[in-house]
Amino acid sequence: MLSCTDLRKTYGATQALRGVSWQLAPGEVHALCGENGAGKSTLARICCGITKPDAGEIRFQDRPATWSGPAEARRAGVGIILQELDLFAGLTVAENIALGHPRLERHSRVKRAELHRAVQPFLDETGCTASPATPLGELGIAQWQLVAIARVLSLDARVIFMDEPTSALTDDAVERLFSLIGRLRSRGVAIVYVSHKMAEIFRISDRISVMRDGELVASSHRDETDIATVIRQMVGRPVAPRRAPPPLSTARPVLDARGMCTRKLRDVSFTLSAGEILGVAGLVGSGRSELGRALAGLSPLTGGNLSLLGTPFRPGGVREAVERGLVLVPEDRREGLVLDMPIRQNLTLACLDRYARGGWILEREIPAATAMRDRCRVRCQDDLLPVTSLSGGNQQKVLIGKWLLPSPKVCFLDDPTRGIDIGAKDDLYLMFAELTAAGVAVIWASSELPELLANAHRILVMREGRVAGVLDAATADQESIIHLATGNTR
Amino acid sequence: MRLWQTLQRAGRPFIGLVLVFLLGLILSPRDSSGMLIFLTAGNLSDILLQQAEIGLIALAMTFVIIGAGIDLSVGSVLAASASRAAVLLVRWTPELPLALHLAIAILGGLGVGAAVGALNGVVITRLGLQPFVMTLATMIGVRGATRWFTDNTNIDFGFGAAASSRFAAILSDKSLVITLWVVFAVIAHLVLTRTVYGRYLRAIGENERAAAYTGLPIRAVRIAAYTACGALAALAGLIHAARTHQGNPNDGVAYELDAIAAVVIGGTALAGGRGTIIGTVTGTIILGLLTNTLRLRMVDSNVELMIKAAIIILAVWLQRRDRAFPVSP
Amino acid sequence: MKSLLSFLLLAATLGLLTGCNPGATSDSPRYTVVFSQCNNAEPYRAAQNELMTRLWREQRDVQLVIMDAQQDSAKQIAQIETAIRTKPHLLIVAPNERAPLTDVMRRAMAAGIPTICLERDIAEPHYTTWIRADNREIGRLAGEFIVQQLTAKHGEPRGRIVELAGLKGVEAEINRKGGAHDVWEKYPKIEVVTEAVANWLQSTAKDRMTEILSAVPSIDVVYARNDPMAMGAYLAAREKGREKEMIFVGIDGLPGDAGGIAKVKEGMLAATFVYPLCVDRAVEIGNRILREPGFQPEKVYTMTSRLITKESLDAP
Repeated sequence: MLSCTDLRKTYGATQALRGVSWQLAPGEVHALCGENGAGKSTLARICCGITKPDAGEIRFQDRPATWSGPAEARRAGVGIILQELDLFAGLTVAENIALGHPRLERHSRVKRAELHRAVQPFLDETGCTASPATPLGELGIAQWQLVAIARVLSLDARVIFMDEPTSALTDDAVERLFSLIGRLRSRGVAIVYVSHKMAEIFRISDRISVMRDGELVASSHRDETDIATVIRQMVGRPVAPRRAPPPLSTARPVLDARGMCTRKLRDVSFTLSAGEILGVAGLVGSGRSELGRALAGLSPLTGGNLSLLGTPFRPGGVREAVERGLVLVPEDRREGLVLDMPIRQNLTLACLDRYARGGWILEREIPAATAMRDRCRVRCQDDLLPVTSLSGGNQQKVLIGKWLLPSPKVCFLDDPTRGIDIGAKDDLYLMFAELTAAGVAVIWASSELPELLANAHRILVMREGRVAGVLDAATADQESIIHLATGNTR
Repeated sequence: MRLWQTLQRAGRPFIGLVLVFLLGLILSPRDSSGMLIFLTAGNLSDILLQQAEIGLIALAMTFVIIGAGIDLSVGSVLAASASRAAVLLVRWTPELPLALHLAIAILGGLGVGAAVGALNGVVITRLGLQPFVMTLATMIGVRGATRWFTDNTNIDFGFGAAASSRFAAILSDKSLVITLWVVFAVIAHLVLTRTVYGRYLRAIGENERAAAYTGLPIRAVRIAAYTACGALAALAGLIHAARTHQGNPNDGVAYELDAIAAVVIGGTALAGGRGTIIGTVTGTIILGLLTNTLRLRMVDSNVELMIKAAIIILAVWLQRRDRAFPVSP
Repeated sequence: MKSLLSFLLLAATLGLLTGCNPGATSDSPRYTVVFSQCNNAEPYRAAQNELMTRLWREQRDVQLVIMDAQQDSAKQIAQIETAIRTKPHLLIVAPNERAPLTDVMRRAMAAGIPTICLERDIAEPHYTTWIRADNREIGRLAGEFIVQQLTAKHGEPRGRIVELAGLKGVEAEINRKGGAHDVWEKYPKIEVVTEAVANWLQSTAKDRMTEILSAVPSIDVVYARNDPMAMGAYLAAREKGREKEMIFVGIDGLPGDAGGIAKVKEGMLAATFVYPLCVDRAVEIGNRILREPGFQPEKVYTMTSRLITKESLDAP
C-alpha cells in the first residue's frame, strides 16, 4: 500500500532519517516505536506530506507520491492524526471536518443542514457522540481526536497515521479508539500507530517496526517478538526491570497537610516524610495537578492549613514556596521552559538571584548549570543551544533540573514521564531514586499506574477533588487503585 | 574574542549595515578635492547626531518589545518633555544659580517621561489592558495635555546668556549627544545580557505562563521596562528641544514608528523574547545611512519614506528563521 | 543567497534614483544653488518654487536643488546640515520657524556658504542678506482698508471684526496682526470680537469660522491673515447663509484660478494684498553673489505690496 525507499532527512546538524526503507500493507495495524529522536515522527510526517525528504522515494498504491502538502496527501487518501491536533476550537465540528475537503467546503458556506447531514456518517463511524453543530472548544480532548479521525475518513483515507493517540485519553476512551481501529482495519484501512506504550502496541498491532537513531532496526510480526526484545531494539541496550524503592528507614515528617481546600480541592489531608515518594493517582480531573498548584501557591487556598518542616506554611506564590523549599514541576513542558532560551539559562531561571549580586549575573552560574545538567544526564552538544533543539525526554530533564537547582526539600512532579521514551524514563527514575536517597521528599502525580506501583512508597488516590484513599504501594495493585479512583466498591 | 562573538551573534543586521555603508560609499558625491563626502568625519558624525533621538528611544523600545509589549506614546512623551523643560527654562525665572535652574528643567522633562512610562506599565500590568491600546491612549492624552499646558504655542529659547540658551548650547553639542547615545547603548546591552533583570525580561516576553510558573516578578519587570522607555523618550525630548531651540508641543509625531522600525530591522521580533541592543543600534544606523545617502544626492524626501518602507520589509523577510519541525512530540 | 539578491536589488534601486536627478547633465554645471523650502504644500510656497525654478533655469550654468521640509523644523535642520557637507555655492533658506533654524544657518555661514534668508526671518541675523516683504505695512494697509469699509457701512468708524490667524510664532503673523491693530487702536468703537488660530489652512479656517458663527450674532468684517483662510471663512458663512452680512479680507494675492485675485474678481473676497514672493529679488541678488566676487549685498531688502479690490481690477 505505502512504501518508502531509502528516505533521508536532515534538520540542521541532526540526521533524522538515515536511509529508511519501510513497507505498509493494506488493512494492517502497524506499530512504529522508538525513542524520541529515533525518527518515527519524521517518518510519519514525510509519509503524510508534511515534510519533504532530502532524498529517497515514497510510493502510495504503487505510484510515486509527491505531495505538495498534507492537504493534498489527505485528499489522496493518506492522513495523520497529530499529537497537537490541528483543529480549531472556534469552529464547529462540521466546519472542522469540512476544512480543506473539496466537496464539503462548498456546503459549509451555504447550507448548514446539508453539511451536517453529509458529515454525520463519519462521526457515527468513529463513535463520536458530539453533534456536528457543537463548537469544538466545548468538547474534551477525546472527542477532538475522534473529530480529527472523522475528518480523515471523510476523505476516504486508506492509510491513517496516529501519533501517540492515547497519551491524553482516559481508559474508556482508549477502549473506544481500539474498537474503532478494529473496525477500520476490517474495512481495509491501514493504520500506523506511533507510540511508546508497549502494552497497547502488543494488544492491537499486526506488525511492529522499531526505529533507532534514524534507522529502521527491525520490522517483525507481533507474534515473532516480545516486549523485552522491542525495548532492547529501541534502546540498544538491555534495560533493567524496575525495582521497588528501598523502604524508609525513619519517618521524618516534612510536609503536613490538613483539610486543604481550593476551588477544586475539598478537604485534602496527608503527611509526607523525608526521602519518601508519595504517588498521586486519579482520573483526569480528579485534582492531581490542582494539588501541586495549591502547594506551590498558584491556586489560592480557601481553607485548611499546611506545615512545612514543622513551621506553618501559607503559600502566597511560587517564589515564596521555592524559598521555603517546595517546588512544582508542571505537567506541560511549555509551562515550565522558555523554549527559545539556552539550556543553561533555563536551568538557572528559578533561582537566578543565587548566582547574581546586585542584579548582575556572575560567572559561577555556568558551573552550577553544568553540574545540574550532568546530574540530570541531559544529552546535549552545547548548553548554549536553545531548549527546542533537545528531544522531549531531554527537555523534561532540563525542566526537572531547573527545579532541583534551588535545592528543594519537597518536590511535586506532575506527570514527569509523559510522552518520554524508555531510555529517558529510566534516567529519570534513577534521578528520583538519588533524590530521595538524599532526603528530598517527592510527590509524584502520574497517569501511569504501573509506574507508580513500581516506584512509590505510598499512593494517594484522588477522586473529584477529594482523597479517596491512601494505599501502600507494596501491597496495592492496579485494580484497587482504579476502584478507589472511580468510586466502585467491590 | 568576546567582542567578536557578540558581533557574530548580531548576525544579519550587521551584514546589512556593512552593505548599506558600501552603498553609501558607491553613491556618494565627491567634493572639490576629490574626497568622498559620505566618508568625511563631519558627515558621519552628522548621521549619528541626527539619529541620536530615535536611537535613544529605540534602545528603550527594544526592552519593551522583548517583553512582548509595545509603546506608541514615545513621540508624545518627547514633545511633553521638550515642552516641560521649555516652560521651566523660559517662563520661569527663579533666583537660582544657572546650573541648578538647568538641572531642575532637565529633571522636570525626565520626570514627565518616567511618570507617563510608569502609568503605562501599571495600567498594562494591573488592569490588563493591551499594550497597544493603552499606549495609544497615552499617546493621544499626553499630546493633548502638552498642548494644554503650553496653550498650543511653541516656546522659543532665547539667545545669548539666558538659561534656555545655555541649555540649548550644552545639549546640542555633537560630542555630548553622541556620547550619551553610546553610553546608554552600552548600559542597555549590559542590562539585557548580563543582569537578572534582562534574563527575566526575555523569559517573560517569550513565555509568560512559564515565567509565572517559575515565580518571576512579571509585573515589576514590565513596569520597569515601560518606565525606562518613557524616561529615555523624555531624554530624547530634551535633546530635541536643544537642537530645535524651542519646546514644540506638536513635535515628535510618528517618532514611535521610526523607533519601532529601527528595532525591527535590528532583528527583534515583535512577538517578544528575541532581540539585541546591538541589533537595534545597527538598525538605527542603517536607517541613518540610507537617509544620508539619498540626501547627499538630493533625492526627493518623499522617496526616502518609500525606501524606508522597502528596507523594513526586506530586513524582516531576511531574518525569518528557517524553523525545522520540532523533532520530538 | 537571499541577502545577496536583496543587496543587488537595493543597490540598483538606489543607483537609479540618485542617478536620475535634475541637473546631472552632461555638461556639469558650474554653480550649485540649494533652496531649502519649509513646506511645498502651501500654495504661496508652491508659487515660490515654480518662480525660483523658472528664473534659475535662465542661467545655463546653474543647478538648482529644492528640498522640502514638510513643515518639520527638525527635518529642515537635518537637510541643511547635509546640504552644507556638499558645499553648494549658494544656499537659500525659507525658514520654517525663527528659533530652530537660527543655529544651522549660522553654521552654514561659518562654513563659508553665502546664505539668503527668504521672506521669513530667524532669531539672529546669521545670513548674508534677508529678502523680506513688509508685513507690518501690509497689516497697516489692511487695517486702513477695513476702517474705510466700516465707515462706509455704518457712517462712522465702528464695527465688529473677527480675526483668523496663521501659525503664531511666525513673523508674518505677528506683523500682519500688529500693523492692523496699530491702525485700529485709534478707533475705540472698532472691536475685535474674537480671534481663532487656523494655521494658514483653508479647511481649519472653515471649521473655526463655523464655530464662531454659532457664537457671534453679528459680524462686519473677517480679517484673515492669508487668502486660503479668508476663503475658508467665506465658505463657512455661505453655508449658514450669512455671507452677505460681512466682508472678507485676505492677504497673498496669488494669481491663477485658486488664487486670491480670482476670488476678489468673483466677489467672494472684498480685498486682498499682493504678498510678494520675494523670489525675483532673491535670484537677482543670488546671481550677483555668485558672479561678482567683490559684491556686498545689503543686509535687508524690502519688497512692496499692493492692494487688490474689485475696483482696482476693473480699472484699466
